[in-house]
Amino acid sequence: MEQVLWFGWFRADIIAEYAVLFWRGLQMTMLVTLICIVQGTALGLAIGMARLAEARHAPAKQLCKFALRWPSTVYVSFFRGTPLFVQILLIHFAVLPLFINPADGLLISGETARNLKQNYGAFLSGVIALTLNAGAYISEIFRAGIQSIDRGQVEASRSLGLSFPRTMFHVVLPQAFRRMLPPLGNNAISLLKDSSLISAIGLAELAYAARTVAGAYSRYWEPYLTISLMYWVLTLGLAYVVKNLEARYGRGDTR
Amino acid sequence: MNLLHKIAASAGLLTLALGSVQAQNKELVVGSSATYRPFAYENPAKEIVGYDVDIIKAVAQKAGLQIKVVNTPWTGIFAALNNGDVDLVISGVTINDKRKQSYDFTMPYFEARQLIAVQKDSTAKSLKDLAGKKIGVVTGSTGDDTASREFGKTNPDIRRFESTPVVISELVNSGVDAAIGDNGVIAFRVQEHKQLKTVNDPSFPKEYFGIVVKQGNKALLDKLNAGLSAIKADGSYAQIYKKWFLAEAPVLPVQ
Repeated sequence: MEQVLWFGWFRADIIAEYAVLFWRGLQMTMLVTLICIVQGTALGLAIGMARLAEARHAPAKQLCKFALRWPSTVYVSFFRGTPLFVQILLIHFAVLPLFINPADGLLISGETARNLKQNYGAFLSGVIALTLNAGAYISEIFRAGIQSIDRGQVEASRSLGLSFPRTMFHVVLPQAFRRMLPPLGNNAISLLKDSSLISAIGLAELAYAARTVAGAYSRYWEPYLTISLMYWVLTLGLAYVVKNLEARYGRGDTR
Repeated sequence: MNLLHKIAASAGLLTLALGSVQAQNKELVVGSSATYRPFAYENPAKEIVGYDVDIIKAVAQKAGLQIKVVNTPWTGIFAALNNGDVDLVISGVTINDKRKQSYDFTMPYFEARQLIAVQKDSTAKSLKDLAGKKIGVVTGSTGDDTASREFGKTNPDIRRFESTPVVISELVNSGVDAAIGDNGVIAFRVQEHKQLKTVNDPSFPKEYFGIVVKQGNKALLDKLNAGLSAIKADGSYAQIYKKWFLAEAPVLPVQ
């Protein structure tokens, strides 16, 4: 291909040559981010509730402590206390092969396992690792959000005869959600950026596209500047969505 | 010899050295990616050892150069050379025309060919048989080039990773159907894993590894070439070759 120079130094032709890889990479990055935001939020809610579980009488009291609070605390501590990069490698090369393995997978084996690993191996590991990690952070946002709602709200709602779940979903969570939106938005943006780490296990997302071009041409400005710009546009878009959500759901607080 | 003598002797040597070869006193930094056993890898004592390291040490000794080998990740190794972070690179780098446009190479110090690794039950006999299969390579390596030329550089079936051990792990876990890499490294890794075998495609051309310096660094290039000639002439080259590959050293072309 003909050399195309922009501004006298930017080799646009090498980006054009790998345009498909960048385009597919962009789609993959967006897909992974979206899935992990949704799953991470659901997981975060579950874990956050588990960390706050309390009951007054035995055996529910002990059950809450040992089956909910302790495991969820250890979980959050582990996933916040170890690097995401290490978690991705651990899940891809150690945990997942244990369960999905053509020879002796505990969950899936044989030809199905081989196909799954070859077509979705890195995707699966990456999404699992990122979801588990995001779940830990998001659970803290939920916990803080729920705890920030005055106890009187719960007491009032309970004395009006609402059950605990109804109190949670109709009284506490809607109010907490408003306060949780800004940190949740921050978290979504980190998630988007952290998805680049999955390139290490060979998932063809944006960072992978850049690495491939850098490896082929030993040129670093063009590929990494290109994906920086793409990530930036994506995070700007995400920030815009969060801002709108805040404007929409934050109204209740600013009467 | 007592301390005074030692000091006097070293002072004498120092003056001699300063008089003749002032420039050589600077310790040169050698970049090598230590994930490339048996060419370069870290031993348990965190020292970088291997065929490449022995060669560069022998060459440096003959050429009167002070060197320090620094573990440099493969994907950034040429950038490190460009930046001046390292003065030369010995890391199983194949001499090819594309690289010659940007860097200068010494005469060859190793004859290599690409080799395919597959699971034992695979029926692939050559590169062509890998069409439609998932192929693992190291980003920007000769194996990457080979696969990219045959199947297209943006083909999603080509899976690129940071290092050979990761590629081999993917193959062992059935994440890819085949791996392509330099024969020395692939053969070594395959004999470590019982479920793998190598496939030799006779159509792969002979290649040569060379030591890389920044383009135009003729002074260093000449010294390295002189050193290489010297170790080939006095038999130490053959000794090093035998130590790592348990075979007689082939006769290499001079250019």
